[in-house]
Amino acid sequence: MHKRSTFWARTCFASMVLMLFSLFAFSQGKNVSGKVTDANDNTAIPGVSVQIKGTSSGTITKADGTFSLQAPENAVLIFTFVGYLPQEVPASASAMNIKLAASVKSLQDVVVVGYGTQKRNEVTTSVATVKAENFNQGGSRSPMDLIQGKVAGLSVTRTQGNNPNSGASIQIRGISSVSGDMNPLIVIDGIPGGNLDLLQQDDIATFDVLKDGSAAAIYGTRGNNGVILITTKKGKAGDPQYTYSTYLQREAVAKRPSILSAAEYVKVAGATNNQGADVDMYDLLLDKNNLSHYHNFAASGGTANSNYRASLYYNDANGIAIENGRKQYGGRVNVNQTGLQGMLTMQFNLAGNFSKANLNGGNSGGGDNKAGNAGADFEQAVQRNPTAPIFGPDGKYVETNGFNNYNPLARLRQELYDRDQKTYSGDVRLTLEPIHDLKFSAFGAIVRDEYTDRQYKMKASRSSIQDFQGGGYAYKANSAAMDKTFEATVDYTKTVASDHTFNVLGGYSYQYSTLEKYSMDNNGFLTDAFEDWNISAGNALNDPKLPRPSQSSNKVDNTLIAFFGRLNYNYKQKYMLQAILRHEGSSRFGANYKWGNFPAVSAGWVISKEAFMQDITVINNLKLRAGYGITGNQGIPNYQSLITLGTGGAYLQYGKWIQTYGPNKNPNPDLRWEKKKEFNVGVDFSVLQSRIGGSIDVYSRRTQDLLFNYTAQLPSNILDNIFTNVGEISNSGVEVVINTVPVKTKDFTWNSDIAFNSQRNKMVSFSNQIYKATEQYYGDLPSPGNLGQAIRVVEGGPLGTFYGYRYAGLTDDGKWLFYKKDGSKATTSQINPDDKTVIGNGIPKYMASWNNTFRYKNFDLSIFLRGKFGFDILNLQDMYFGNKKWTPNNMLSSAIGKNAKLNDDPQFSDYYLEKGDFVKLDNITLGYNFKLKTKYIRNLRVYASGRNIATITKYSGLDPELQDTALDSGIDGRGFYPRTRSYTIGLNLGF
Amino acid sequence: MKKSNAYISAALLALGLSACTKLDEKPYSEIISDNFYSNKEEVLSAVLRPFTHAGAWAAPTGQTGYWRLQELSADQLAWPQKGRHGYDGGNWIRLHNHTWIANEDNAWNPWRLMFWGAGFCNNTLKDLSAMDFAKIGMTNEDKASFIAETKVVRAWHYLKLMDLYGNIPIVTEVGEPASPATKSRKEVFEFVEKELKENVELLKPLSADMVGRATKAGGYAMLVELYLNAQEWTGTPRWDDCITYCNKIIAGDGGSLSGAVPALEPDIFRAFANNNNTSPENLFQLAYDLRAGNSRFGWQGDFWHYRQRQIYNADVDGNNSIVVIPTAYDAYKDNDLRKQKWMLIGPQKKDPALRTSVGDSLVLGTEEYNGKPLVFVKEIRRNSEGASGAGGMTQGEENSGARFAKYVPGKQDDPNYWGNDFVLYRLTEIYFNKAEALMRKNNGIATQEAVDLINTCKKRAFKPEDWAAEAYTATSLTMNELLAERGREFIFEGKRRSDLIRFGKFTTGSWWDHQPSADKYKLFPIPFKQTSINPNLVQNPGY
Repeated sequence: MHKRSTFWARTCFASMVLMLFSLFAFSQGKNVSGKVTDANDNTAIPGVSVQIKGTSSGTITKADGTFSLQAPENAVLIFTFVGYLPQEVPASASAMNIKLAASVKSLQDVVVVGYGTQKRNEVTTSVATVKAENFNQGGSRSPMDLIQGKVAGLSVTRTQGNNPNSGASIQIRGISSVSGDMNPLIVIDGIPGGNLDLLQQDDIATFDVLKDGSAAAIYGTRGNNGVILITTKKGKAGDPQYTYSTYLQREAVAKRPSILSAAEYVKVAGATNNQGADVDMYDLLLDKNNLSHYHNFAASGGTANSNYRASLYYNDANGIAIENGRKQYGGRVNVNQTGLQGMLTMQFNLAGNFSKANLNGGNSGGGDNKAGNAGADFEQAVQRNPTAPIFGPDGKYVETNGFNNYNPLARLRQELYDRDQKTYSGDVRLTLEPIHDLKFSAFGAIVRDEYTDRQYKMKASRSSIQDFQGGGYAYKANSAAMDKTFEATVDYTKTVASDHTFNVLGGYSYQYSTLEKYSMDNNGFLTDAFEDWNISAGNALNDPKLPRPSQSSNKVDNTLIAFFGRLNYNYKQKYMLQAILRHEGSSRFGANYKWGNFPAVSAGWVISKEAFMQDITVINNLKLRAGYGITGNQGIPNYQSLITLGTGGAYLQYGKWIQTYGPNKNPNPDLRWEKKKEFNVGVDFSVLQSRIGGSIDVYSRRTQDLLFNYTAQLPSNILDNIFTNVGEISNSGVEVVINTVPVKTKDFTWNSDIAFNSQRNKMVSFSNQIYKATEQYYGDLPSPGNLGQAIRVVEGGPLGTFYGYRYAGLTDDGKWLFYKKDGSKATTSQINPDDKTVIGNGIPKYMASWNNTFRYKNFDLSIFLRGKFGFDILNLQDMYFGNKKWTPNNMLSSAIGKNAKLNDDPQFSDYYLEKGDFVKLDNITLGYNFKLKTKYIRNLRVYASGRNIATITKYSGLDPELQDTALDSGIDGRGFYPRTRSYTIGLNLGF
Repeated sequence: MKKSNAYISAALLALGLSACTKLDEKPYSEIISDNFYSNKEEVLSAVLRPFTHAGAWAAPTGQTGYWRLQELSADQLAWPQKGRHGYDGGNWIRLHNHTWIANEDNAWNPWRLMFWGAGFCNNTLKDLSAMDFAKIGMTNEDKASFIAETKVVRAWHYLKLMDLYGNIPIVTEVGEPASPATKSRKEVFEFVEKELKENVELLKPLSADMVGRATKAGGYAMLVELYLNAQEWTGTPRWDDCITYCNKIIAGDGGSLSGAVPALEPDIFRAFANNNNTSPENLFQLAYDLRAGNSRFGWQGDFWHYRQRQIYNADVDGNNSIVVIPTAYDAYKDNDLRKQKWMLIGPQKKDPALRTSVGDSLVLGTEEYNGKPLVFVKEIRRNSEGASGAGGMTQGEENSGARFAKYVPGKQDDPNYWGNDFVLYRLTEIYFNKAEALMRKNNGIATQEAVDLINTCKKRAFKPEDWAAEAYTATSLTMNELLAERGREFIFEGKRRSDLIRFGKFTTGSWWDHQPSADKYKLFPIPFKQTSINPNLVQNPGY
């Protein structure tokens, strides 16, 4: 205490001396005044530091951006402000109008790296940044759509096109796990595991993607799949500003499945199946007048010490299908304040999302777009007898009689499935900076995600009649997830001897998550009037002859605790070194392995700053980076290490039916995190006055101790599998990003950016001393036929390998022939699993994107191409539906086209494998920026954009872009939810 | 002052830190076994876990277990491909043709399910042995009885595993040893015999209260099965031991579900009916009750047509899978009530309650016979395409083959709807086994006692006016005839493969499109999934 008070005393004394000195200095000069504005939108910038060069004296701009000070003759003023390029201007007697340009040069950019930021040129790891101005344009259901194709090595796929109720699957640098979580960690404004539903495209400022282990190690057991840090827009000092963004969007089917017409169908299926009508059921399931709209209204303002941003949005998203929509509204508030003489800052964020989703339609076959399950309306539309009328003479819906058939239109009209979701997050960060560059920070956040599902099946619906004796069916379910985070950090930066800069960060993190669920259902309703709002009215509660109503509830929790530290050192911004250590524990792991250490080290060398490079003027920047890091994965279900008893169904105990209990897993006290070791080398460069820039990264990573539901020795274990750590996956690859400015004149600029990556995945091993295996199977082929699993992974082999029979032609009467192992040909009853072999691979080896932006005066045009290459697709649609044996159902035209000679039931073989390579014209946007000479409107931009406009591919199916982030990648699902082209017109207005 | 402040801070910090580093898991919806077994019901709920599990492998409830291997590899039942349905990776074709391999589900899944059940037993034994029953108000006799019941159930698992796989590891403690070694079939036999004999007398006798449980009657029946097959399994015949235990059951030493001694049902449906929990014929059964216990012996998946619920006014449909092989159907005479009642053939009528009009009386097909009446035919061939001849495993259609109707659920408004228990042992089998043992002791010639035992059973299947012509005599009841009659009586009960093996026909016989196979197929291979991780396992000869 005593020591601290002398410190303050000395500081105060020094300050006073300085101030006196300043006064003395000022009194010598002339009066200078002016105003500082943003070069882009001409708004005043308060808080800009105005310093007289060569002295320590100066001032800062006021709220309206004006300043005035006393300056000596011939003084030069330096204007600096965070986020803007500094400017030096000779002081003049007349009013100075200073326009500060935002620091757009990427070398000066600040990169968010987790628990802090770094300058782009000091970064030593593989981190990609995408800013708002580079986002994909048009309406986005998922924030991840905004950066699809923008980051080399980041795969973003929407397997259900623009279905407003489907998410994007995302993956960085390939598959790193077998049964653990394969998704990157999402961190929103410092909240690990943040909820993407809380983000609106207009509220996002940047994405920073930590790709390699040396960057992601700061997130420890959740770093294996990389980290995506999302920063929202924040309050900014200056004039109060309003921003309004809106768009209208329409979806159109990109490619329809080609099915037999009624006449063609009758020819194949025979007159007995002719029911006389001619119905295009697929067409009837489309909402052709779909129109989505989106509005976002934001206000920001304040002073340098106290500012805010608040936004409200409303979005009505209509999918291409009927009964397929999502309405949502919500808001986000950010408040920042600096007080206590600049020593204490508080940042506060509050966000909420209220959405109502109609999940009844748009179902393409279960959640994963694969199974041929009962929710597959479009599959039913494709296979429905086209001569079957919709309604019978009695006015009731006509059900066709085939196996697993139902009338999809009837289902959509007679059933209800809604989800009401409410998601909130609140976080606050207090940062105390008692002395310059020493920051104590405390951060707390709560994220709550709740939804209620409602279902009702009307009494007259097929499901009610079949399964509930015509008494209707009501269902309600609730899910509530809660994540609480507390983190504390200390950060200190010190420059020694002017050339050696150190930054030290230390911290503690605590996260506790719970998930609670319950559901109930009932049937036997007298009337449809209640839907699910009077669930006790169903008779099944008291009539044992009705199907039993059910109830369930469930709760899980888990805790994650970490201590972490980071050290950065740089010498003259030429040599950089970073070291990270995170010591983290997760409640999910076995008693013997709760805690782990995740270290990383990386270094950078800015070669272009070396003396010997100074003459090579063509090179503006050249930096070499190398890093090595160890990260973990704890993305597994809870309680896997414990001996727990689960229910096994009721059994008779002396005349009473009582639930039985038995062990439901083999316990594993040694259960631990997956560990990934990754080495990354990269080069950043820019040449020719920064007209060409980019980076190249090469990585090699090995995930060890793979979490795996492994076949256990049975006996002696109780169950046949044990969740344990066995095996190893390796990924290696190259990522190239090139940003060029081929043309740059006063009126016209052309930016052309290319991102490319290539990756190889390999299952190095499945075995350790105890558990041994040589192969694993994935990709179950659905009913009818249950043709086995399509993908096999062997020890030492690549992931995603199709494994099946080889097509050897057809017999004269159109029966399948396949090659036996010995090369002879055999029919389906003569082949066995030993005759299967490697026939293809479903994981793309290369991905590339190419973005061109042209700006001419006020116009801008961007054209974005994206492609994936080097993979095969198993065309399940052709396999099941492109076959005459699919009668009495309707079928694809290929049944009487390229598969016309086939007269046999569906079989899985390489006959149905096709090359999947494709290039998509993914986005074209044309925009116009009005330059209005009015003080009311700051900026006005209108744009029109089209997404998924054209696809170049040899694949004969509907769309070659499949999910490629899982072990069963490459199987094109049997669902027929349409992929769409989206057309958007939008407007951004600032005032 | 300063120092004490520091201490307090340090203490606070340590307290804070320990709370901040706590990683205990608290299961909310599962139970940790330390917190279990606090009363009799909880103890019994662990004892009975293997029983609910056994439905998965012993009964035809949709998984490949003991039942499917026993029936689909034999001469009565098959799961043919029916157009685009039922190929299922060729699994059922390989079972039928005897071309299975070690690295497939047919070898693995029964092993998995049955050793899993044995594992439940081991776990229960471990937990109960360590418990103080007095603490929860139970007696040491309760303890002994529960332990004996669990050991008998475990022995039953090993009995059935030995039947399928022959040479298998024996494990009696969870996890010990981690990778157990193969024991010869003879050693397994001795283990099963010892466990049964040591514990069967500690079991409670069968009574109405003990339905679905392992009782003396069930334990004796296990010994009967063990001794009946002793010659095949160990090379040493045990016919007298077999007869001894048959006699105990018949005399009522094992108790009975109703009455003092077990008794044959006069009605051939009664032992399988939806109130068969009271049938005096049944000795050991898996208890189910849809209405009271919300648990169903779900045979519909394996047997029923996609529209079969309409026949019964039931609440579920099937996958149109397993049917009767044409030669097995023909093995019944037309006047055999079992042929008429235990199987469905011909046009199928909708339950009257489901008809929307007078004309709406027939169940319609959905595939080859889409919209046309569903007419089950005995052939398994492409009749819709005009096929003739014997047909074959890939030649089925949606209506091929006579269908299972030994168990029927009743209508949905029946208070006992789908209350059928799955019968594992019934008195009829004891009669047959005793008769077989008597004949085998007598060089394959029927004794009068054997003839009487079989006739008592068979008589129920014929009208009185037909019976005189159908009754066996000591000359007509040959060993071949005994095997054929066993088939007719026990069709669908999961016993056929063992019978064919015991009679030397399993790998040498031909039926329908099945050709003789090779001796090695009398045993299933040890699954590759286990031989690949447990080096102490020895593969069966020839695989």
